[in-house]
Amino acid sequence: MAFKTNNGIFIKLLFIVLCKPLFSDINVYSHRHYESDKILFKKFTEETGIKINVIKGSADQLIQRLVSEGANSPADILLTVDAGRLERAKSAGILQPIKSEKLTKNIPNEMRDEEGYWFGLTVRSRVIIYSPDRVNIDELSTYEELINPKWKGRIVARSSNNIYNQSLLASLIIANGRENALSWAKGVRKNMARSPRGSDRDQIRAVASGLADVAIANTYYLGILANSSKKADREVATKVSVFFPNQKGRGSHINVSGGGVTASSQNKDKAIQFLEFLSNSESQEIFGKVNHEYPVRIENNKSGLLRSWGRFKADKVSLSLLGKENSEAVKLFDLAGWE
Amino acid sequence: MQEIFNFLRREVYFKINRWTLSTLLIGVFISLPIFIVLLNLTDSTENWEHLKDNTIGIYLKSTFILVFGTSVLTIIFGVSTAWMVTNYDFPGSRFFNWALILPMSIPTYIAAYSYFDVLEYLTPMLIWIRDNFGQDQMSLFNEIFVYFTIIVVLSSVLYPYVYLLTRASFLNQGTQFIDAARTLGCKQRLIFWKVGFPLARPAIFSGVSLVIMETLNDYGAVKHFGIPTLTSGIFRTWMGMNDITSALRLSSYLVIFIVMVLLLEKWLRQGARFDDKSGFKIESDKQKIQTAQYLIPFICCIIPLSLGFLIPVIRLSTWGYENIKVAFNVTFLKIIINSMGLALFSSLLVGFIAIILVFSERYFKSTILRLTNRFASFGYSLPGAVIAIAMLLLVGHFTKFTGWILTGSIGILIFAYLIRFLAVAKQPIDSGVEKYCDQINETSRSIGSTAYQSLISLNLPLLKNTIVAAALFVFVDTLKELPLTLILRPFNFETLATYTFDLAVQAQIPESSLPALFIILVATLPVIWLNRQMEYNKT
Repeated sequence: MAFKTNNGIFIKLLFIVLCKPLFSDINVYSHRHYESDKILFKKFTEETGIKINVIKGSADQLIQRLVSEGANSPADILLTVDAGRLERAKSAGILQPIKSEKLTKNIPNEMRDEEGYWFGLTVRSRVIIYSPDRVNIDELSTYEELINPKWKGRIVARSSNNIYNQSLLASLIIANGRENALSWAKGVRKNMARSPRGSDRDQIRAVASGLADVAIANTYYLGILANSSKKADREVATKVSVFFPNQKGRGSHINVSGGGVTASSQNKDKAIQFLEFLSNSESQEIFGKVNHEYPVRIENNKSGLLRSWGRFKADKVSLSLLGKENSEAVKLFDLAGWE
Repeated sequence: MQEIFNFLRREVYFKINRWTLSTLLIGVFISLPIFIVLLNLTDSTENWEHLKDNTIGIYLKSTFILVFGTSVLTIIFGVSTAWMVTNYDFPGSRFFNWALILPMSIPTYIAAYSYFDVLEYLTPMLIWIRDNFGQDQMSLFNEIFVYFTIIVVLSSVLYPYVYLLTRASFLNQGTQFIDAARTLGCKQRLIFWKVGFPLARPAIFSGVSLVIMETLNDYGAVKHFGIPTLTSGIFRTWMGMNDITSALRLSSYLVIFIVMVLLLEKWLRQGARFDDKSGFKIESDKQKIQTAQYLIPFICCIIPLSLGFLIPVIRLSTWGYENIKVAFNVTFLKIIINSMGLALFSSLLVGFIAIILVFSERYFKSTILRLTNRFASFGYSLPGAVIAIAMLLLVGHFTKFTGWILTGSIGILIFAYLIRFLAVAKQPIDSGVEKYCDQINETSRSIGSTAYQSLISLNLPLLKNTIVAAALFVFVDTLKELPLTLILRPFNFETLATYTFDLAVQAQIPESSLPALFIILVATLPVIWLNRQMEYNKT
């Protein structure tokens, strides 16, 4: 046969060349693709001399990748949006618990995993964006009320593939039970002006254009539109207002974007240092100013735009619980016919 | 019994050698991820029961609408244009002849991004419908608009598959029959329905089956327009329910769907080989038409070309020009180099493997190899994302076993491209060998040449152009590939496709136009070259 003994060495060499892992710097798997993160990563490298390698991808792909890489993964940090995914990463065994006084001090209890597997770094609120021309603010009260027939043909929302919607429904499952959550999803779908499509931004645009009167969307998208370089986007932002639902009850639905140290991390100390850096007050301010997200301590919010929307009461439900109800929420959306 | 024994004796005993064994191994190795998908066909989970009862119907329905609509429209675009440029002499016909292939260089997701705001323009119309006819009518029309838009967008970049094959068929087989029909006094319109169309039927079906596969593979465009197809269902099950098993099982349904399309194509083509093998070709005179009628073929050709190429490229160029200062920098150059290098290496590798596989199968006439090669080329019918998931599972097992990390290495990415695009290179090479080399190989074998000699001194020179064309196809496909690259790429590694997608996902579609344009530009060059080559071969 053609195989000779030196083939073995060749193959090994080939593997070393092809699979050279990066062990010196911090390797970050990130779902977040925002300008604020670029600025912060650069700042961290300038302050500490630690270089950051980033792989961007959708959270689920990154989690799957971490699972299949197992203990050999070169990643040190997983950054993603939505506690549902952080919780999923935790239960997949790809994060490790860490102890850091700075992190526990900077981040309130409900915004992080109690065992220290993951930490919220920014807060986003999923609210009702409405057209003040066509909606009287007294008409609005809660998420639950959106199934009232008076909203028929007046609501827009994005697809249920989106995890922000899944977490919102998870919070409704926890608050009102499965049956009520299902009828909520059915009711809202029935009241929609069009089948779900596009991003949160597109829903806000649909309200501005007059296609619908209210949209379910995250606040920072309105921030992005208001600060856009495009005139059309800025105009959209002037035509709509923010309403924080459920203020008389449990509060508006919030979620975090956050991260954790991977179970396989070779640079645990540096990784912790990195998370601490992201949670310090300066970084928190940058998240707010550049990406219009709330800091994890919402009351410390310094961005003028965010303040202009007013203070609000946030739903204090444990974010880990939301993560646990995530796949139930997806099923309910299926049953409700919310694409 | 005796027959089976004889078959095995023939296949195994006489045909075992270095060539067949290594081909067998390569074929099986490349098929591994496909087997992984098929193995999941019966794994049942609680989520699966839910999917079966509630959502598969929806996925199948919208997939069917999309596939059906796209097939019909690509046939209309592809066949009408092919007929016009081969049969009529009208202003611009020579230009259209090659320009009509250009939309092929635009990946479906970029086409969708270039029309990202079209539906917004329809909003006033929707509001008007609501005000005059009511909410339900508006919902209905909205649904129709969405499907209509995506079908038009997909068809306008996918029709060249039908156009190319149908045009070739009109040129190669039809002319004599058409001339005969004309001489016998058949009316021009009837010639198309009675002669041209029936003769081109096999070519049309082959083209459409490629269109269907591309449609099923698409994730970027359906995601953008919010269509719940089987492919988006796979992503949803994988991501939303965190259930790889059910996602793979859903993938296996997609595989079955694809197999049905392929079988249908085969069945429809059954016995319908109208190749004129006599080698006797007469360049037929094109029909001269009166000036007043120029407009019809011109409009027929300009519509698909505008929708599939001119409008997207003009829009992207305008955005690209506006953003050139922000977008054009060192990072962008690095990304270009990444993309080109990756595509070049993959195309060489895939071309090389394809030659080995095809040659051993055909040279030794092995039934077993034909089967394994079939399997190995099946990756082209699978959506990139499905292959990526299967690869992750496979690599995960491998890592557990050996401790070597393979995810995030260029090697794995290229291997995944090999699985995905082998068929792209294999098909032309296979028909090349069948056409030019089979008989010669038999002769050279009978006079005692070795397989190696036949390959090097006979087949490779004969197939030179075919091989270059095959590698070019792979090059362009790799450059355009998105989902697989997104999942398997290494650290800090961006290609033009992932860069475009990243920007588009952040709703920075105008900013994403520069990398998108670059993909189109690079993909256009081989398309033009290929057409020159075909023209050249014809004369």
